[in-house]
Amino acid sequence: MTDDRKAHPMPGHSAHRTGYLPPTGNVVAAGDFLTDGTRAVLRITRCRDCGSAWFPARTQCSTCASRNVVAELTPDTGTVYASTVVQIAPPGFQAPYVLSYTDIGDVRALTHASTDAALPPGTAVQVRLTTIGADYNGPVLSYGVAPIGDQS
Amino acid sequence: MRDVFIAGAAVHPFGKHRGTPADELGYLAVSELLAGAGLRPEQVDAGFGGSVYGGSLLAQRVLQRVGVSGQAVYTVENACASGASAVHLAWQTVAGGFADCVVAFGAENLSSLGGGTLPLTTADIEIAQGMVMPAAYAMRAQRYLHDWGAAVDDLTNVSVKNRRNGADNPRAHFQSEVGADEVESSRPVADPLRLMHCCPNSDGAAAVLLCSEQFAEKMAAPTVRVAASVVRSGQFSTGYRDMTWPDITDRTAAEAYRQSGFGPDDLDLVELHDAFAIAELLHAEALGIAERGKAHVALASGQFDRDGRVAVSPSGGLLSRGHPVGATGVAQLCESYWQLTGQAGALQVAGAQVALTHVTGGGIFGVDNGACSVHILSTR
Repeated sequence: MTDDRKAHPMPGHSAHRTGYLPPTGNVVAAGDFLTDGTRAVLRITRCRDCGSAWFPARTQCSTCASRNVVAELTPDTGTVYASTVVQIAPPGFQAPYVLSYTDIGDVRALTHASTDAALPPGTAVQVRLTTIGADYNGPVLSYGVAPIGDQS
Repeated sequence: MRDVFIAGAAVHPFGKHRGTPADELGYLAVSELLAGAGLRPEQVDAGFGGSVYGGSLLAQRVLQRVGVSGQAVYTVENACASGASAVHLAWQTVAGGFADCVVAFGAENLSSLGGGTLPLTTADIEIAQGMVMPAAYAMRAQRYLHDWGAAVDDLTNVSVKNRRNGADNPRAHFQSEVGADEVESSRPVADPLRLMHCCPNSDGAAAVLLCSEQFAEKMAAPTVRVAASVVRSGQFSTGYRDMTWPDITDRTAAEAYRQSGFGPDDLDLVELHDAFAIAELLHAEALGIAERGKAHVALASGQFDRDGRVAVSPSGGLLSRGHPVGATGVAQLCESYWQLTGQAGALQVAGAQVALTHVTGGGIFGVDNGACSVHILSTR
């Protein structure tokens, strides 16, 4: 009998990364990422049977239905697949804001981007704690992205 | 399985019908359908009504108004494919021999929801981050332009063509042509999409009558055969996905081609889901009527015009007709029925014998779309 964990080795993102903690405060998707106060990593699930990666985390693989799954963290960097500037906001958001589909490790997440213009496909980004909107409690935080080297 | 025929169609014109709820709009379409067909209520064996925001038991609330009550009646929700899904279920019922005559309709009133983008109500991880439907299509557009060397002008060409087609359609929300300058100076919605690259939120309803061959023979109305009727769901994944290739359209169309024996080259006209200009390019390629990455070139050279190689959105598409979401798929079938029976008037595609309709929709994360439906109609 083969060891499936050898067939699909963990890509080295320990679920116990030093300094990353659950976010606190007025946060959207607070259970779905960890942050060191600046940078962020996503909490994902990997299937030990088929290797699929899932975000948000889940208890059963949505490809092969296996429950043999393990929690992982993504890297704190990613690559933009596509991006846009939203000019008509849904309730709770203030237009304009930039969204991108960002490939982070083996998952693709929809992320706010801390820029004024849409990010070109292929842009390398830092995943970080980001203000994505505001409500009656003040700024709303979540995970987001900024081009690497952009400290704004 | 038995052959199934469409033997009647009715559309309550799309537009802004503030104060006319979905059940009233549905009633107006169904009432016109049954009066036109000369059917008594007891001749209808079952009914299916598609709607997203129309509320519980919409189909019952509509059909009981025309005396169809007591029969099996279902209200169907499948996002933008709700109406076409209702038709598909009606088709199954007749094809399976469980009924001879079934009404399928779609009805929607979006004005009652207020302005802005369509509300996404499923509270998933992307909606929590501020996702709206135009943004989803805008990102597909940005990536398509990047990957295939297309330009914003290529998106604008879709709007200009479909608004030109819709200018002749008395059932369309917009019945006027627009120029490229107007499109590209319209209000930005989600870069690179501007307002005229987006279909309007509309109110309206549409209904079709599906029946068996025996039943159709007793009717005076011209009929067309439903050569394929298919519904598929999106394949869920949160990993890498090529968002310039609508896999759900590809898989649904492949099954429709297999079921019908027709292929993309046999189609005289296509009514596809151009909710946003980019969508016509993506879906044209996935339906196989244009080469991968080349739909914008085919469109620019007139191949999708009403008198082109294959007429795409000859009724004006969603960009002209508007998009009362649950009604759209049924309206496409009505327009195609009139095309194949030579009743399309100014919209007529000369000699049309085979038509394909396509809707796909749903703003849930992890899939191209939640639901897609393809129908192929044939005069033979």
